[in-house]
Amino acid sequence: MTTFSPSPVRRSPSKWPDRALALVGAIATLLSFGLFVWLVWDLVRLGLPRLSWTFLTAGVEDAGRSGGIGPLLVSTLWVLLCCLTLAIPLGTGCALWLSEFVRRGSLLARLVTGGVDLLASVPSIVFGLFGMVFFSQTLGLGFSILSGGLTLACMILPILVRTTLSALEALPADLRPAAAALGLSKTTATARILLPAAFPGIVVGITLGIGRALSETAALLFTSGYSTRTPESLSDSGRALSVHIYDLALNVANGAPMASSSALVLLAVIFVVNAAAVTLAESWLRRRLSFS
Amino acid sequence: MTSPDTSRAGETAPCGPPGCCGSSNLCIADLSVHYRDLTAVRGVTLDIPEGEITALVGPSGCGKTSFLHSLNRLTDLIPGCRVTGSIHLCDGTEITHPKADVLELRRRVGIVFQRPNPFPQSIRRNFEIPLKEHGWSQRDIPDRIEQVLREVGLWNEVSDRLHQNATSLSGGQQQRLCIARALALDPEVVLFDEPCSALDPIASGVVEDLIHSLKGKLTVVIVTHHLAQARRIADHAAVFWMKDGAGALVEHGPADRVFSAPADPDAALYLSGARG
Repeated sequence: MTTFSPSPVRRSPSKWPDRALALVGAIATLLSFGLFVWLVWDLVRLGLPRLSWTFLTAGVEDAGRSGGIGPLLVSTLWVLLCCLTLAIPLGTGCALWLSEFVRRGSLLARLVTGGVDLLASVPSIVFGLFGMVFFSQTLGLGFSILSGGLTLACMILPILVRTTLSALEALPADLRPAAAALGLSKTTATARILLPAAFPGIVVGITLGIGRALSETAALLFTSGYSTRTPESLSDSGRALSVHIYDLALNVANGAPMASSSALVLLAVIFVVNAAAVTLAESWLRRRLSFS
Repeated sequence: MTSPDTSRAGETAPCGPPGCCGSSNLCIADLSVHYRDLTAVRGVTLDIPEGEITALVGPSGCGKTSFLHSLNRLTDLIPGCRVTGSIHLCDGTEITHPKADVLELRRRVGIVFQRPNPFPQSIRRNFEIPLKEHGWSQRDIPDRIEQVLREVGLWNEVSDRLHQNATSLSGGQQQRLCIARALALDPEVVLFDEPCSALDPIASGVVEDLIHSLKGKLTVVIVTHHLAQARRIADHAAVFWMKDGAGALVEHGPADRVFSAPADPDAALYLSGARG
C-alpha cells in the first residue's frame, strides 16, 4: 500500500498577477474609450455651433465655407443605398455557398476565402482607381452615384462575406443534421433555419459595412465625383459627405469649422443608420422566431 | 440481398425483398459502413420487426450509431462515408438505392438524436417548417401540432406558450419536442440514438416511457448504453461488437432470449457486465 508523506506547507497562489492584469485591462479600456470620447467631444465643440436645420437642408455655397450640406446628404444616402443593394445579396450569397455548398477546407473553399481576405486588405484608393476604370470608363457609367455605389459595394463585400460566413459557421453543429433528419431540403434548411439563426451576425456585418461605406473617401473621389448639386438620378454625379469633409479640410481655406460640422453630421448619420438597421433586424427576428 | 436491378426506389411490392418476411419493417442485408479507409460496420444482416422496439447495444465505438444513421441515409451528410449492402422498407422501397427520394425516406424513417436539437425558433415554427415542407396545409397544422404534443405529454406544459423559443424549454421537454417533431411527419420507423443519455434521471424516465408507448404504433430502433433500459423496453435486441477492426452484429433475437441466454461468448460477457 502506498503511504503519502505529509505535504510541505504551501503558499496559496499570489493574487498579484490577477490584479495587475485587471489594472492593465482597465487602463487599456480607459484609453480606448477616452479616445472615442475625446474625438466626439472635439467634433461637438467645433461643429455644433453651426448645426441648424438650414445647414442640413441648404445647398453648398462658397466652396463649402457657407450654406449647408443638403444635397450631399442626399448623394451620400443614394450611394449607400446602391452599395447595400448590391453588396448584401452578393455577400450573403457568397457566404452561403461557401458555408453550405462547398466542403469546408476544400481547395475551392480555401481559394475563394483567400481571395475574399485579399480583397479586404486592398487599399481603398485602389478600389477607387478600379471603379474609375471599370464602372466609370469601361461600363460608361461616368462619374455617378451608381459608379460610386458599385465601387463601395466591391469594397465592403469582403466584410459582409466574412461576417456572414463566421455567423453561419458559428451556428450549433447539430442544426444541419436536425434539419436533414426531418427530410428538409437544403434550400428550406438554409432559408428557414440557418439564415434566421445567423441573422444577428449578418446584421453586425451589415452595420460594419455601412460604417465603412459612409466614411469612405478615396474610393469615391474618382467614381461618384465632386458635384455639389442634388442628384436627380443614379447617373448624376454627387459628392458624398466624406468627400466633402476631405475637400473642406484640405482644399478650402478656412474650411475646417464647416468640416467639423459635416463630420458631426456624418457621425450622426452612421449612428442613426446603424441603429435603424439593428432595430429593424431585431424586430424582424422577434416576429420571425416567436410570434409567427 | 437484392440488387438495384430487381428493386427500385419507390417501387411498391406486397412484401420486401427475398428473405425479408412480411412482419419486418426494415430488412437490412450485408450492410457495411466505411469512412474512407476505415470500416466502421461490416456485413450486418438484420430484420427489424414491424411495430416493435429493437434495441442496439454494445460498447462505444462498435458502429451502432453509424449503423443507425445509415438507416435513413444521414450518413450521406458525412464526407467520405460510403455504405454498401442494402436496406429495404417493407413495401420494397430500397433506402440504399442511389436514386431513392432521400427527403421522403427521412420523413418515413425519422430520427431523434442524443442531444435535443430544437431549431432556435418558436415551438410552433419547429413543427410548421417540416410540416409545410412535406405538404401539410396551413389549415391542418395547428391540429397536428396539438395532436403530437399531446402524444408526447407536452401539450399541457406548452399549449399557452407555443410562440416562445423552443430552446427556452428544459432538456427533457426539448427532447420530447424533438420526438413530437419527428412523429408529426407520420413516420413508419423512428430511430433513437441514445435519446436519454443527455438527460437527468427523471426526464430520462419520462422519455423512456414515451418510447415504450410507441410500441405497436410504429417501428422503433433504439441505440442505448443503458442495458437496464434495453431490458425494460425492447422486444428485440441486437448486440454489436468489434470483430477484426470493425463493428459487427454478434447476437440478435428476442430481447428475453438475448439478455438471458446469449449464444455469443462476447455478447454474454458484455450483457453480464463482465466486459465492455
